[in-house]
Amino acid sequence: MTNTKEVLKGDEVTLDIEPGMNILEVNKKLAQKNKDILKEHNVQAIDIMGSIGAGKTSLIEKLVQKLKNKYRIAVFKGDLTTTIDADRIGRHGVQVLTINTGRECHLDANVVARAMERISLKNLDLLIIENVGNLICPAEFPLGTEKRVVVISVTEGPYMILKHPFTFMTADVMVINKKDLAETMKIDIKQLEKQAKEVKPDVKVAVTNALTGEGVEELIKVLEL
Amino acid sequence: MATQIVENVLEEAKRNDAKKVAEVHLVIGKMTFLGVDQIRFSYNILVKDTIMKDSKLIIEEQEGVIECLRCGFKGPIPIDDDPAYHVPVPSLRCPKCGEAAKIVEGKECTIKSIRILKQQENKNDCQRCC
Repeated sequence: MTNTKEVLKGDEVTLDIEPGMNILEVNKKLAQKNKDILKEHNVQAIDIMGSIGAGKTSLIEKLVQKLKNKYRIAVFKGDLTTTIDADRIGRHGVQVLTINTGRECHLDANVVARAMERISLKNLDLLIIENVGNLICPAEFPLGTEKRVVVISVTEGPYMILKHPFTFMTADVMVINKKDLAETMKIDIKQLEKQAKEVKPDVKVAVTNALTGEGVEELIKVLEL
Repeated sequence: MATQIVENVLEEAKRNDAKKVAEVHLVIGKMTFLGVDQIRFSYNILVKDTIMKDSKLIIEEQEGVIECLRCGFKGPIPIDDDPAYHVPVPSLRCPKCGEAAKIVEGKECTIKSIRILKQQENKNDCQRCC
């Protein structure tokens, strides 16, 4: 609602307008629309966020391998350029759509809505969306998925959660990847879990090695798939 | 984000036949990922060749408020100052019952108000002689 009040000043008028417009609300509304469409078609959707090199694509490969006989799966792969990762996931025989953002550091509900128009939601049970490798910006832009997963790896050091608490607050599930390197990196995984629960008490945690597939069953369980 | 803010202000100004935008008042939540200094920096660049040039940008920061999903406690976001962490960490744990809480305030980026200048319509024209 726009409220106006005029103040006279010479032949010029000063006008105070109160748009009360929330800029972030625009994406939120689009996200809600995506959510409604997905629900209508009985499609479960997951948004996977994480830094560059955390292991998001490797994890998705393993998830797809294990779940492709149970669900009809599609993957949206957000990247600035190239289809390298999409090709990796596509090898497993599921539909993959690359969303090249050009220069943008995150996916938003609008680009996801456009991608959703290009796939057949009727023939789909599970939509996995891999966000652009970035631990900050994507957290501000919900896409309309039911669940959000944040992937971190032990090679990113012991302070990822403490340095990015606001990102972890938006997560339903946290994956600690590259568990095989924890000892080499001198990382205490239990400490990472504790920090995550402190920031987001109801977050569910899975500890994985995406290369071997260790812990992926645990992830499937916490994702309730 | 700064582009969207400026675009929306310009649109609103145009709708009201503004000659100039004198003041923009934003509310930015502390639970967003927006930096006040960065918004101000981008804003000053973006407004250069527009009617928003030289406008005063007022940014009001909104504190984070959480509400407990179990006991209903509503209050400022707790900061966990455990010395083991080296830094104070914001937490979504309810300070009263320890359960998970959700953010209810502090996630906004709102254009609260805009002050514009416009030409006054000629109200003094005499209907008989002019």
